[in-house]
Amino acid sequence: MTAPPATAPAVAPALRLSGVSRTFGATVALDAVDLEVSPGEVHCVLGENGAGKSTLCNIVFGSLRPSSGSVERDGEPFTPSNPADAIASGVTMVHQHFSLLPNLTVRENLLLGRGGVRLDRAGLARRLAELEEAYGLAVDPDATTGALSVGARQQVEIVKALLPRPDLILFDEPTGVLGPAEIAGFLSTVRRIADAGTAVVLITHKLAEVTQVGDRATVLRGGRVVGGGPLSELTSDDLVTLMIGREVGGLDSVLAASLGLTSPEPVGSPAATTGAAAEAPEPAGSPVPAAGPAVLEVRDLVVDATDGARTVDHLDLAVPGGSIVGIAGVEGNGQSELVSVLSGALTASAGTVTLDGTDVTAAGPGPRAALGLGVIPEDRHHDAIVGELTVAQNLLLGRLDELRRFGMLDRRAMRRRAEDLVARYDVRTAGTDAPISSLSGGNQQKAVLARELSLDPLRCVVAAHPTRGLDLGAVDGVVRRLREAAASGVAVLVVSSELSELLALCDVVHVAYRGRLLGPVPTDDPTARDQVARLMTGAVA
Amino acid sequence: MNLRHPLSLGLLAAAAALVVSGLLATLAGSSPTEAAVALWDGMFGSAYAIGSSLNAAAVLLLVATGFIIAFRANLVNVGGEGQICLGAIFAVTVGTRVLPDSTPAFVALPAVLVASVVGGALWASIAAVLRVRRGVSEVITTLLLNFVGLALLLLVVHEEMFLRQPMSSSETLPQSLPLVDGAHLPLLGIPRSPATAAVALALLGAVVAAVVLHRTSTGLRLRSVGLSAPASHRLGARVDRLRLGSLTTAGGFAGLAGGVLVASAPHVLAEGVSSGYGFSGLVAGLLARGSLAAAVLVSAALGLLVSGGINLQLAAGIPASLTQITEALLILFIAGSALWTTTGPRGAGRRSAGWPRRRPEPDRSGPPPGGASEPSPGPATATGSGPDGDPGPAARPADRPRTTHLEETRR
Repeated sequence: MTAPPATAPAVAPALRLSGVSRTFGATVALDAVDLEVSPGEVHCVLGENGAGKSTLCNIVFGSLRPSSGSVERDGEPFTPSNPADAIASGVTMVHQHFSLLPNLTVRENLLLGRGGVRLDRAGLARRLAELEEAYGLAVDPDATTGALSVGARQQVEIVKALLPRPDLILFDEPTGVLGPAEIAGFLSTVRRIADAGTAVVLITHKLAEVTQVGDRATVLRGGRVVGGGPLSELTSDDLVTLMIGREVGGLDSVLAASLGLTSPEPVGSPAATTGAAAEAPEPAGSPVPAAGPAVLEVRDLVVDATDGARTVDHLDLAVPGGSIVGIAGVEGNGQSELVSVLSGALTASAGTVTLDGTDVTAAGPGPRAALGLGVIPEDRHHDAIVGELTVAQNLLLGRLDELRRFGMLDRRAMRRRAEDLVARYDVRTAGTDAPISSLSGGNQQKAVLARELSLDPLRCVVAAHPTRGLDLGAVDGVVRRLREAAASGVAVLVVSSELSELLALCDVVHVAYRGRLLGPVPTDDPTARDQVARLMTGAVA
Repeated sequence: MNLRHPLSLGLLAAAAALVVSGLLATLAGSSPTEAAVALWDGMFGSAYAIGSSLNAAAVLLLVATGFIIAFRANLVNVGGEGQICLGAIFAVTVGTRVLPDSTPAFVALPAVLVASVVGGALWASIAAVLRVRRGVSEVITTLLLNFVGLALLLLVVHEEMFLRQPMSSSETLPQSLPLVDGAHLPLLGIPRSPATAAVALALLGAVVAAVVLHRTSTGLRLRSVGLSAPASHRLGARVDRLRLGSLTTAGGFAGLAGGVLVASAPHVLAEGVSSGYGFSGLVAGLLARGSLAAAVLVSAALGLLVSGGINLQLAAGIPASLTQITEALLILFIAGSALWTTTGPRGAGRRSAGWPRRRPEPDRSGPPPGGASEPSPGPATATGSGPDGDPGPAARPADRPRTTHLEETRR
């Protein structure tokens, strides 16, 4: 753990928030938040989803105005009316979702944000050389941005944020899309930026990152500051307790993993964090890897994208009933395409998919569901729900044929079925007639689970990033449902980029690498994490 | 009064359109009162005026009903004109060339009307197939097919080898023979009123469409396809078939409008049979915002405007095209106010129900939405942090692009 003593408060803080509140209608997103960030320190802002972290960021970056309270920079009042103002006064931000234009080169992207009429290419080249010297951040200005890996694109984002010589940088959930190696590289860059005297605010919900790179932390819960201080005085357990408001001991291993209590480093985990994870009890009835006959079988699958790139390359996979099989890997290694083929949204170029011995390679989503294949798609808003339709309609859209009476839809039966599902899967909604877009993300996901897991018969579940963007309570629900499904003999396939979560949830983990699957690695192997991390770089075990 | 209610907005827009039209009438050299009186007489002045207004409204309602059905699946049918032409051509072919003169009405009338439905549906199916198989924008294809349809109409009424009546002298008009007597639409029987059974037919069509759209699984699936094709496909809806069916049905309704036009007096096919009904019907469908009840009202209003406009020219000497300007103004005002009602004061994604918006299909190549956790920045962040700590914001893509209804975007 790197925890140099916090900078003495003799200098005026680079950023000071006093009593900042922000309300949206009746909802209080931030409630009298105080925060102080000194130059040269990495200040981590922790909290679950919905704790107000992004709102905080947006206030400092000028996208939102506080409802009350004041913001000061270097002792002066700071009231940016828009992000351009904020940048001009030395505040930059690296967003969770990249704001680069994929069709432009890196140089063009970097020149875009600069003011003035003339494109100062020479000046940019000089500045890039400086940044490489100072932080080891090397970018290829002639590369087309869209062709870069996610990690390289983030480097470009960071370079873009550093170009105007800011003295305060905000990072909003920067590691969500990075692989383990890229995370390590990112964290060391952050450290160097802070060591050069810049104030850094790191918004995250991953504890391992905080303990590795942070100097101070502030924990938000429900829009309030519930604690914080120098990280040298806080243990991981303290932070978790603050974040979720309950003790670590009772945490399910998957929940602990999704918080990043286990370190993303493949080797040499810090003692404090392993302790927390090890104490988490194994859930009762965790299924033993069953070597039963495969329910879902994929043979020699090939998918060629429209641009000719081969995204899935002669992939084989078998998921036996009663077990949970995970697919890890850095995004863009064919996992998304595999899920699309399994769900019937994408046609395979070659190979077969069989479900319980029935060839479903050419079948549409309807027949697949009839055979007992439930799919939880990666992109909930795009593929899983129709936001404007009601909860009941979303739950039952796939089986309207069973709900007809005299050719008309039997609305009463629909409501009854929907209310039953909502109750059984604990979906919190104002009513089954409310549009599903009015539900929180976690409850939307619960509704999707309710729909897919209530298929009759249910033989196989394919879940892509099922816990992405969910808070702890919702993660808990999703994980429990998937385990229950497996325990009842269903074959479960989970695709995720959260390695720790996969290791805690699955029986075996495959690694997607360039359109193939490496492994499998049994997760009860003590060196599983090491092995998987190595496979993610393409090394054959 | 709630100014944002669609009804009050519609009334305000109508008032504004009338005021501007009155100004234009003054510029055209007539006093506004004289113009207003002429317009009123044309609309409500006599049983005859009301009857012809109702006939016009029936045609508009048929086109509007079709438009609404296609729009449920997020398809915009701009091809009403061409579909009316083809429907009329099919109807007249059957009504003058196929059926013998003595065909009884209970055979002739259905035969002619069914032929017109088939004609319009076939014409729309060209655009529908192109849309489903090749992804060609139906806005473009249906629009362009209008010109082909109008040209076809011109051809068949000018050439004796097609539908032109036999030329006996140089004064023979370029039009078809009249339909067999049995194929004439009966009048509704109101004294001195030319209102035909078309009015009842159009109302029946609207009722059936409303029931199918609101009460059946097909209606729900259509709506779901219109709102999100990928999710509907995921849930087993046959997206292509639904799209094909809805656009073809829209064509069938417009074709029926064509059949109704030729089955009404003077029972012949001539150039200009559609005379803008295709576009005015589209307007009625758009202004009705997906509600068939509203479509009935809007069609009636526009039908009154059409027959009022004719009298405007006859009685006040003001070009009847003034009513088209009024119609256009009405659309502009309502479309402008719709932006206001659906986006709220500061663009906070408020939208009215039942108004399927045309939107781009999300770009799959971008970074995955929903990222690791925290939602995209924006006001939506507020809704989170409920009592159970649910991340409300993740539910709502705050950056969903707003697009105009007719904007065409697709991969």
